[in-house]
Amino acid sequence: METPLQTEMSRPKPITPVRPFWYKLKQNQMTWIGLGILGVIVLCSLIAPILTPYNPTQVDISQKFLGPSLHHWFGTDEVGRDILTRILYGARISLGVGITVIIMASIIGILIGTISGYFGGVIDVIIMRIMDMVMAFPTLILAMALAAALGPSLQNAMLAIAIVKIPVYVRLARGESLVLREKLFVKSAQSFGINPWRIIGKHIVPNSVSPVIIQATLDVGDAILMIATLGFLGLGAQPPTPEWGAMISIGWKYLLDYWWYPTFPGLFLFLSAGSLNLIGDGIRDILDPKTGR
Amino acid sequence: MKKMIINRLGLLIFVVFGVTLISFLLSHVIPGDPARMMVGQRANEETLQQVRQQLGLDQPLLIQYETYMKGILSGDLGTSIRTQKPVIDDLEAFFPATMELAIIAFIFALVIGIPLGVLAAVKKNSFWDHASRIFSIGGVSTPVFWSGLVIILIFYGYLNWFPANGRLDMNIHPPTHITGLYIVDSLLSGDMVALKSSLHHILLPAIVLSYAQLAVITRQVRASMLEIMEQEYIRTAIANGIHGPFLFFRYALRNALIPTITVVGISFGSLLGGAVVTETIFGWPGMGKYVVDSIAYLDFPAMMGFTLLIAVGYVIINLIVDLTYYVLDPQIKG
Repeated sequence: METPLQTEMSRPKPITPVRPFWYKLKQNQMTWIGLGILGVIVLCSLIAPILTPYNPTQVDISQKFLGPSLHHWFGTDEVGRDILTRILYGARISLGVGITVIIMASIIGILIGTISGYFGGVIDVIIMRIMDMVMAFPTLILAMALAAALGPSLQNAMLAIAIVKIPVYVRLARGESLVLREKLFVKSAQSFGINPWRIIGKHIVPNSVSPVIIQATLDVGDAILMIATLGFLGLGAQPPTPEWGAMISIGWKYLLDYWWYPTFPGLFLFLSAGSLNLIGDGIRDILDPKTGR
Repeated sequence: MKKMIINRLGLLIFVVFGVTLISFLLSHVIPGDPARMMVGQRANEETLQQVRQQLGLDQPLLIQYETYMKGILSGDLGTSIRTQKPVIDDLEAFFPATMELAIIAFIFALVIGIPLGVLAAVKKNSFWDHASRIFSIGGVSTPVFWSGLVIILIFYGYLNWFPANGRLDMNIHPPTHITGLYIVDSLLSGDMVALKSSLHHILLPAIVLSYAQLAVITRQVRASMLEIMEQEYIRTAIANGIHGPFLFFRYALRNALIPTITVVGISFGSLLGGAVVTETIFGWPGMGKYVVDSIAYLDFPAMMGFTLLIAVGYVIINLIVDLTYYVLDPQIKG
């Protein structure tokens, strides 16, 4: 005679259902190309000290403006630094900052959005009208003005971009929590007299995260471009930081004589943002049947 | 319809108020020392105090805001530190150049983006669809300053087909000032030399500026075309023997354009952001280049005046876009 537990254990394992997400992801070649390019860039930037014998900030005037060669694949800059080395170290800044900014913006956005949606009433009206005001500005222009007001530095540029990105996440999270607060499990939590902050933290936030994550994946590429743009305009990372935008900001003055200087950092910027957009696009296609892929 | 317009206008006033509030915060509250920002780093303590008093920075914030709003309502955006002229006059002088560039870029984006989107949708999953997808992902991933540099390097540096600086050749006089848009002005005054030169100058920056918007528009047209092509009325049309371009453009595209218009409004905002960078790269004497030049001098009044103007313009454009939306879609009318 078997115990119920044994009966349970001896049953044949159910057939694993095909998980549509992974199945579709396997089919989506573009996403894999994106993941591949991004993976190579991330890996190379992490093992940069092994890949290159040069130092990203070490000045050597005797080596200035050397064209691309076997020793310096992407040439050297106006003070003799190896451009490939600076690009690889710069990848840590550009990619790291892009991801950090979006994480910051989405966490703050979720918090504000769920509070706004859950409590409703006056709080909701005030929060959403403030978000409308922020969204009334073109994003890049508001980020420029904010970065200028805070003072030009990489930290302030990050803060500026995070602030202009917040409203999108607030709207998404608010929309979700408006639906969630009417659900039975939230209603019953309320009827037990559970503290509303605990309900938000335990029930509303975890359940409104997924659309925010999709949006965040799509936004990282954009954040990287914005950081670089602010760097290019002199409002982000300051020299000699090997940030890509800041490198192009100096390099473009030498464009016609030393084409490699601004061209290669820009190429990496394009490859990073492009691969992130391929990934984001693929994930959206998989999760959103409307785009018809 | 009327009620809707009144509602939207009410919202417009509210948002414009919000925009001034934010730019007030940006110029008066966030900087540690706005007076220092306004006179620059080299000024001594005495001038600093003087400026503080002059600008009323020793007053309570509410009173400062009142003064600030009074200034804006009478068209006073402060005086530029770099040019020593009223910011509003500077912006007025540079406004037409930016408008001309933005309009031409916008026309490019629409004229190329819409047919490309239709093509991608009609030939779904074909070579054309994939090509248009790569093309549009390229558009949203290419930093404007980089595509500008590469285009200058090729078409000016190596081929020398196009100029890469300014709106006209150095030796050509600007056409008689009518609208400030050189293409329009030279057409109106029959100045063919200036027309040729200005078209020659605007081509590269307009292409660079339009690329990102083109990408967004292509994607949107493709997505809404695909949705529309599934509809019953299209199936009926096909059953009635309607096919080819007539079906796609006359029947499907008209409806597919409605959601596109919303995207168009938003993309005009990023076009203005892109204009700042494009003008800098191409030495285009517009508001964008003006504001970037101001950054180097920490010319705060100029930067904030520009931000305020662009934000108000953006709000108005979005209002117009919304109104067209209601006009075009008979289902919402009422």
